[in-house]
Amino acid sequence: MRILLIEDDTVLGAAVRDQIAADGQTVDWVTRLDLAREAMAGTGYDLVLLDLMLPDGRGIAFLRAVRARGETVPVIILTALDQISDRIEGLNAGADDYLVKPFDLAELSARIGAVARRYSGNPNPLIHIEDLEIDLAQKRVSRGGKAVSLTAREWALFEAFLSRPGQVFSRAQLEDKLYAFDAEVESNAIEVHISRLRKKLGARVIATERGLGYRLVAR
Amino acid sequence: MRRLTSLQARLGLTLGVALTALWLAAGSLTALILRGEMNQVFDAALKETSDRILPLAVIDIISRAEAEEPGVQRLATAREGDEFFTYILRDETGALLMQSHNAEPSAFPAWQGPGFSEDATYRFYSDFALKGTVRITVAEPLAHRAEVAREIQMGLLAPLLLVLPLALAAVAVGVRLSLGAVRRFRAALSARGPRDFSPLPEAGLPAEIAPLASALNGVLARLEAAFAAERSFAANAAHELRTPLAGAIAQAQRLRAETADPAAAARAGEIEAVLKRLTRFAERLMQLARAEGGRIRRAEAADLRPVLRLVAEDVARAGGEGRVSLDLPSAPVRGDIDPDALAILTRNLLENALRHGAEGRPVGLTLTPAGALSVTNDGAPVPPEVLARLTTRFERGAAEAEGSGLGLAIVAAIAEGAGGALTLRSPIPGAAGGFCAEVRLPVQPG
Repeated sequence: MRILLIEDDTVLGAAVRDQIAADGQTVDWVTRLDLAREAMAGTGYDLVLLDLMLPDGRGIAFLRAVRARGETVPVIILTALDQISDRIEGLNAGADDYLVKPFDLAELSARIGAVARRYSGNPNPLIHIEDLEIDLAQKRVSRGGKAVSLTAREWALFEAFLSRPGQVFSRAQLEDKLYAFDAEVESNAIEVHISRLRKKLGARVIATERGLGYRLVAR
Repeated sequence: MRRLTSLQARLGLTLGVALTALWLAAGSLTALILRGEMNQVFDAALKETSDRILPLAVIDIISRAEAEEPGVQRLATAREGDEFFTYILRDETGALLMQSHNAEPSAFPAWQGPGFSEDATYRFYSDFALKGTVRITVAEPLAHRAEVAREIQMGLLAPLLLVLPLALAAVAVGVRLSLGAVRRFRAALSARGPRDFSPLPEAGLPAEIAPLASALNGVLARLEAAFAAERSFAANAAHELRTPLAGAIAQAQRLRAETADPAAAARAGEIEAVLKRLTRFAERLMQLARAEGGRIRRAEAADLRPVLRLVAEDVARAGGEGRVSLDLPSAPVRGDIDPDALAILTRNLLENALRHGAEGRPVGLTLTPAGALSVTNDGAPVPPEVLARLTTRFERGAAEAEGSGLGLAIVAAIAEGAGGALTLRSPIPGAAGGFCAEVRLPVQPG
């Protein structure tokens, strides 16, 4: 999953970024709304973490503009505004969830997972594909009852497929999900990760669509 | 004497006393002037009588002297009866020559020369003729004059007795009517709620009171601004405190996750715990500032249920997983309590119940259609003396329990501001134990 974090507090932002990265997600962190607009114009994000009080404007206005453009990206508000009326306003503006500062990083991870699952159309964190049992909440995969160990990158890639079962992802799209702007992408990185995933999870799980990209087999 | 504090009574009394005094003074003065005039008229009549009688008497005496008829003569009068005037005629020795038939010669003073004189009972006029050999004195009883004077005074006083009460009543009614606007103003002021800072209507107030009203409205506006500033300060303080605390807590959590050293992880955990306690305490202080400073009621009513649902969901997610059971009516319950204030109140009650209630037992949040919001939990009954102290600031139910001790004080402040009341009961009526906090919120019927 590629996540956009919009947070102007550097101490909190750094901790949130590290937490998301440790979960195996890719995160782009911006501190201003204009930078957030630029980032969203260039990249398709799977989720946005939005602070409400930013140096160059209110997060609510930004969220309304995003929804007014018809973008369906999940948005979780992270805010110091603790009043229930602020929360209702945020939810009415189109937020999917709302976290009042200070929050537990573990709770943030759980909510990101929950919102992402809701968007993929299956809120159940347990998914069965062929002989695989996948627990999205715990980020665990077992094959035929035996635990499979995935690296953070492999998990992130696999999760991208799980979020849109059957959808074909191009190599560029997968690179987008795996790497933040500043990370260097090796030319054959995606192919390498896919081949490792097939080795661990079974060759049939990820199909190659020639000339188009890759997709998860129907579950 | 009790001082008159009512403007209406003061005005009525002053006007009434002044009116009465002026009227009495005017009447007395009129009576005095009339009396002087009357005396002149009476004196003129007295002298006229003497002037009329004297020549006739002289002729009579002379003719009698010629006829040599001795004795006192009485001048014939038209008819017998009461006379206003009596007279006597005497010679220069004082011997009686003639008298009116009712005259009492002993009542007449000795000759003192012509002119007016007076004793205790009579007013006299004396004159003489024939070189002082015939002297007349006419007497008029003073009682007669006094009676006339009394009649005049009565004539002036009688209408006064009738008109004065009417005038006083008119004064009272007039004062009351004039002060009606002031009374309505006062009623409007005393009828408003403790957090109502809307301006008072100034229209229709007398010019003397209107500046007071507008000054009061100015004070109300400044108060409202001060409360709004306090509110926005609380909101800003929340932001200024929450964000750095969130950063510090998150960093501590990352440290704990990233370090391989168990001792360092434990320290990070301790830092995190302290920061969280600090967060809760700051939060309670800001809630208290909001509860006591802000506006707890809104202009329009809204359904209270969504707020309760959000709070219950939140509290359940933050540690009370599966322990909060929500019981809401199926129809909207509309109240004018500020949703933020209601959320603070409910959250405090729920967190209290989760913290102090029996481990693992459910906590109930119930709202009735009549606006009774109650939070209940299981547990040993709270002793009555502890129950009574619970809403005092910084008071904890049990010394070892974690908490700021501000929760119930905040709840009580919000309940009061909303026009409700907080009732604490333990054990729950009809049960052996447990704790029930109930707030009756004003709700709109229907």
